[in-house]
Amino acid sequence: MSLKIAIVGCGKIADAHVEEIRKIPSVHLCAVCDLEPIMAEQLAVRYSVPQWYSDVAKMLEAERPDVLHITTPPQSHLPLTEQALAAGCHVFIEKPIALRYSDAQAIIAAAIAAGKKLAVNYWPRFEAPALELRRLHESGVLGNPVHVESSIGYDLQGEFGMALRRDPQHWVRRLPGKLFQNVLDHVLNKITPFLEDENPFIQAIAWQAEAAAGEGGSDELLDELRVMIRGAQVSAYATFSAHARPVGQILRVYGTKNTAHVDYIARTVVLERKQTFPSALGRLFPPFLAAKDHLRQGLKNVNSFSHARFHFFDGMRRLLEDFYLSIEKDSPPPIDYGEILRVSAMMERIFEQVYPEVRA
Amino acid sequence: MKVLVTGAGGFLGVHVVERLLAHGYTDIRCFLRDSGKTERLLTLPESHSGPKLELCYGNLRSKSDCALAVADVSLVIHLAAGLKGAPAELFADSVVASRNLLDALEERDGIPIQETRVVLVSSFGVYGAAALPRGTLIDEGTPLEEHPELRDTYSHSKLRQEQLFRDYQQKAGFQLVVLRPGVIYGPGGGAFSSRVGLQIGPVFFHLGGSNLLPLAYVVNCAEAIVLAAGHPAAAGQVYNVHDDDLPTASRYLREYKRHVKQMRSIRLPYFATRMLARFLEAYYRRSQGQLPAIITRYKAAAAWGGNRFDNAKLHTLGWSQLVATPDAMAKTFEHLRRQDARRQ
Repeated sequence: MSLKIAIVGCGKIADAHVEEIRKIPSVHLCAVCDLEPIMAEQLAVRYSVPQWYSDVAKMLEAERPDVLHITTPPQSHLPLTEQALAAGCHVFIEKPIALRYSDAQAIIAAAIAAGKKLAVNYWPRFEAPALELRRLHESGVLGNPVHVESSIGYDLQGEFGMALRRDPQHWVRRLPGKLFQNVLDHVLNKITPFLEDENPFIQAIAWQAEAAAGEGGSDELLDELRVMIRGAQVSAYATFSAHARPVGQILRVYGTKNTAHVDYIARTVVLERKQTFPSALGRLFPPFLAAKDHLRQGLKNVNSFSHARFHFFDGMRRLLEDFYLSIEKDSPPPIDYGEILRVSAMMERIFEQVYPEVRA
Repeated sequence: MKVLVTGAGGFLGVHVVERLLAHGYTDIRCFLRDSGKTERLLTLPESHSGPKLELCYGNLRSKSDCALAVADVSLVIHLAAGLKGAPAELFADSVVASRNLLDALEERDGIPIQETRVVLVSSFGVYGAAALPRGTLIDEGTPLEEHPELRDTYSHSKLRQEQLFRDYQQKAGFQLVVLRPGVIYGPGGGAFSSRVGLQIGPVFFHLGGSNLLPLAYVVNCAEAIVLAAGHPAAAGQVYNVHDDDLPTASRYLREYKRHVKQMRSIRLPYFATRMLARFLEAYYRRSQGQLPAIITRYKAAAAWGGNRFDNAKLHTLGWSQLVATPDAMAKTFEHLRRQDARRQ
């Protein structure tokens, strides 16, 4: 049976959803919707989507999709999820799942109550290096995790960054955690598989490194964030930087046996191994072992490229395949709901510290 | 008469405001998004006596900002548009913003919309050039693009914008004037139109060859816009805007290398461009978009197929080139040379 997919929200990220959906033969995109009809129309015309709507209720009524992708700003995620579940849809939600932790709880509870599947677009978690890291962890190569460092860079001069800087009414500015809230999922959801505490200690600091003078006023927009997290067994650092170059996405997992260094942009996983040779000899070998790892990863990437499996959003395609399969097989969805909630809870506590008005 | 210029802080906008002042308009509302782009606008009235420049900051995506922009104006010169970025951003900045502006004109109190003239600055990109045989003359009667989804998103969004203006004009009955500039260039603009070629990594692929380049020097273009805005015969008309003495793409590149800087370029004849496009399309399909199909046969035909251009209709408004092409190119290249020196 071919699942019918619909999308609500036709902004920039909707393009990525359409492109990845189209790569999956077992599903088909039946319609797109946006409150702004011009935006719905442009997406439908550019990708030859059969129908477009400006009223989600009409789309759900007319198309009866099996899955609704919600790619609107997070302010609307809760009501749209409730509407989709009421119409019998499974739900795939763009991150961040919701404005507040309480909304995230309500969304998950509603999906469970409706007996429908739900996933949040944690696509980097399904990239090839992330899967390799998971294998290293599960096979015991790293030993027990001790500390995790997850960092992400952001380019305020990029397409999205410029749109945000120029528009004082941009939806990201209205998020409680502003710029951080639109990105931090991808930092924290790489930590949560290793740090499973429900209520870890969190200390966050944030500041504005560069005022966007003359770009529509972004005085309130903090652009550097550092977070220290401590659980019972594992600690973590989370870093967001709009100024560090190159714009990267790095994860380091320090284990009791070895340390893994994952570069999500270059798509490499390099293992830093415990020294086995004594004295100066022990310092001679590590660069060669790292070079061997890089070469192996480089060849792997060439292989992926030659088999057309090296797209920017390859992780999203993999996540969607897993999600759709969980619907067809009625098996657990690819991302544990508890983990989604822990990410949301951590984000809220971070925003309370760096934007005190959130606490209020 | 109060005039609204949207996108007034942009590359073309500043020159349009300057030409409005030169033509004796004294009450001009400059609508701009970035407060950092006011410096040049603020110096303009110094060279003209008695004008009133009103700076109005906002974003046309906001309906309330649009309402403020259109209050009491009887002439709207709409330049603001998305030029680059994600497709959704281009449509939001060009089409949604235009719709908001037109809604605000319809809904405002005061001057009836039927007594308002709206000048839309569109683009050559709206023509269905891909379907035309090599050497076809492009004028205002050339059919519009029938497959905008096969073109670049900028052209697609500009075509949709034009359709929107025509729909609203028929509904609301305002005076609509459409100008379709070719490649607007000048100090402060970019160095190369894609009609000359594409920079891919360290190499510039020169794809335009001996094709004529429909250049419109920014001052000449601004003059055309202001003339059309004020000319009684322009209501309901469309005008192509480009200069008279057009260079070829290869001459433009040669002069650039001579006056700005040397650069490595590879000239691809049109048949080779088509072959490359065929390969890229096939790879795009086979790999499901692993690499973008930056050149397709359709885009290649539109950009590098080779056309002739006609601006005779623009001349009927009394337009003539204020800056001759050799002077315009010299000024542009001098600016680019200084810019390049500053970067180094």
